Amino acid sequence: MLSPMKALLRRDLRLAVRHGGESLMPLIFLFAVIILVPLGVGPGPNLLASIAPGMIWVAALLASLLALEQLFRPDLEDGTLEQWWVGAGSPAALVVTRLFSHWLITGVPVIVFAPLAAEMLYLPDSALPTLMLSLLIGTPVLSLVGGLASALTLGTNRGSVLLSILVFPMVVPVLIFATGGVAAAAEGLSASAHMGLLTALLILAVTLVPLATTAALRLNIE
Amino acid sequence: MIPQLDYAFYVWSSYGLFAAIMAWQFIQPRVRRRRIIAELREELAMQTGNYDDPDA
Amino acid sequence: MIFHRLKVGFHRLGSPPTFHKLCRVLSPWLWAGFLVCAAIGLYQALYVVPPDYQQGDSYRILFIHVPAAWQAMAGYVIMSILAVIALVWRIRTVEIMTMAAAPVGAAFTALCLATGSLWGKPMWGTWWAWDARLTSMLVLLFIYLGIMGLYAAFEDRRKGARVACILVLVGLVNIPLIHFSVEWWTTLHQGATIRLLGESRMHPSMMSPLIWMTVGVKLMFGAALLDRARNDLIDQDRRKNWIRQLIGEGATGDNA
Repeated sequence: MLSPMKALLRRDLRLAVRHGGESLMPLIFLFAVIILVPLGVGPGPNLLASIAPGMIWVAALLASLLALEQLFRPDLEDGTLEQWWVGAGSPAALVVTRLFSHWLITGVPVIVFAPLAAEMLYLPDSALPTLMLSLLIGTPVLSLVGGLASALTLGTNRGSVLLSILVFPMVVPVLIFATGGVAAAAEGLSASAHMGLLTALLILAVTLVPLATTAALRLNIE
Repeated sequence: MIPQLDYAFYVWSSYGLFAAIMAWQFIQPRVRRRRIIAELREELAMQTGNYDDPDA
Repeated sequence: MIFHRLKVGFHRLGSPPTFHKLCRVLSPWLWAGFLVCAAIGLYQALYVVPPDYQQGDSYRILFIHVPAAWQAMAGYVIMSILAVIALVWRIRTVEIMTMAAAPVGAAFTALCLATGSLWGKPMWGTWWAWDARLTSMLVLLFIYLGIMGLYAAFEDRRKGARVACILVLVGLVNIPLIHFSVEWWTTLHQGATIRLLGESRMHPSMMSPLIWMTVGVKLMFGAALLDRARNDLIDQDRRKNWIRQLIGEGATGDNA
């Protein structure tokens, strides 16, 4: 017997594999940014190295926005979302599962290919572990706040513009701590304070976001 | 003391902006309310049947 | 006994006709109070207070900038309190008040940013600096705009108000984080910045106009909030009986 969460996760991932092209979008997006920026600002290694953490992080952030509008909408339209409230699993747990699969689909590919992107932007090797760590801690936060924004805008019919306005203030701290940490590591300084704060943000998001997301979804299906 | 000439532009435009925003906050709801009420009056008159053309 | 009365009054506020009446009666008094406070405050700010020995007359922008900044933040706190009440007790008039607070708060945030920019030009030499406070204010403006946009995007006003109330509370958690992170970020990137409110201590005579302006702006926030809430209520209840009676009496008419 599968628990409802496992079943949902399996279904989401299977759908992502089936729509292979769409699931590649975050990666294509990441590399579009990584290739276009040097073309825009010039190939100077010093300049590129100094903006590399910011570029990779902004690309990860924008990549996480891509699939958000469709995060809950198909389930709302075919009625499965309502089943979350009458089925066996708790709605909050199902929400977390959905956000987790969103992270697996949009966050993990970015993390996997980040070393390549970092190399292309001449990020110092000493900063690479910090970059990876910051992405590992930070991208789940992006998925969480993105999912919250997606749930809030679910009942509207012009979600996408609104979605980015809602997400942008929520990711400001993540961006600051993550890129700050990577920049510190690139200068040979300790990034542990940044990573600690980033972890605190993750813990806060993990505790509060499912609550707010569930409440927002509930209001939207009423 | 009226602000010295060097800073007059910045100071007066700040105060002007303040006045403009306050005035906007005062006027805008009143204009909107007037419009809603006019709409409602018209609706009501149409329904009750004693519609007098206000422009007549 | 007093508690009981408060409770009854609180419940009466939930009744649209009572709330409408309260708005209609209270708003002119608040506006009048604002005008009196602002008149005294502006007179003192422009004519009584001596020029600063470092900043000359440009610091007079402070009497607009600082009350606007305080009100932008206090407005958010008020909105959050209203949002909690709206979500917990599901009182529709409070939901409407919460949503009415957002545009007024946004107006003060915009005013704070614009006056900060006008102050920055003579002081810093640029219209914009990535100063921690200005940056946090800019993000706050986007939070306000997000709340307004979310509310406006719903066809069902009531549902929109309740979803936007959740966003208000999310923002309440978020704002201190943003403030802290931006402060951290500017200290890392800029070293010592020139502060608008620099080392020069406030002259005692500056306190009086600042207090008058702050109080005035608070009254104005209440007045504008009630005005907007009243409009929303009329707009949403246009098919209800109490509105028809009101219009019949002409009580909401042109004299309002």
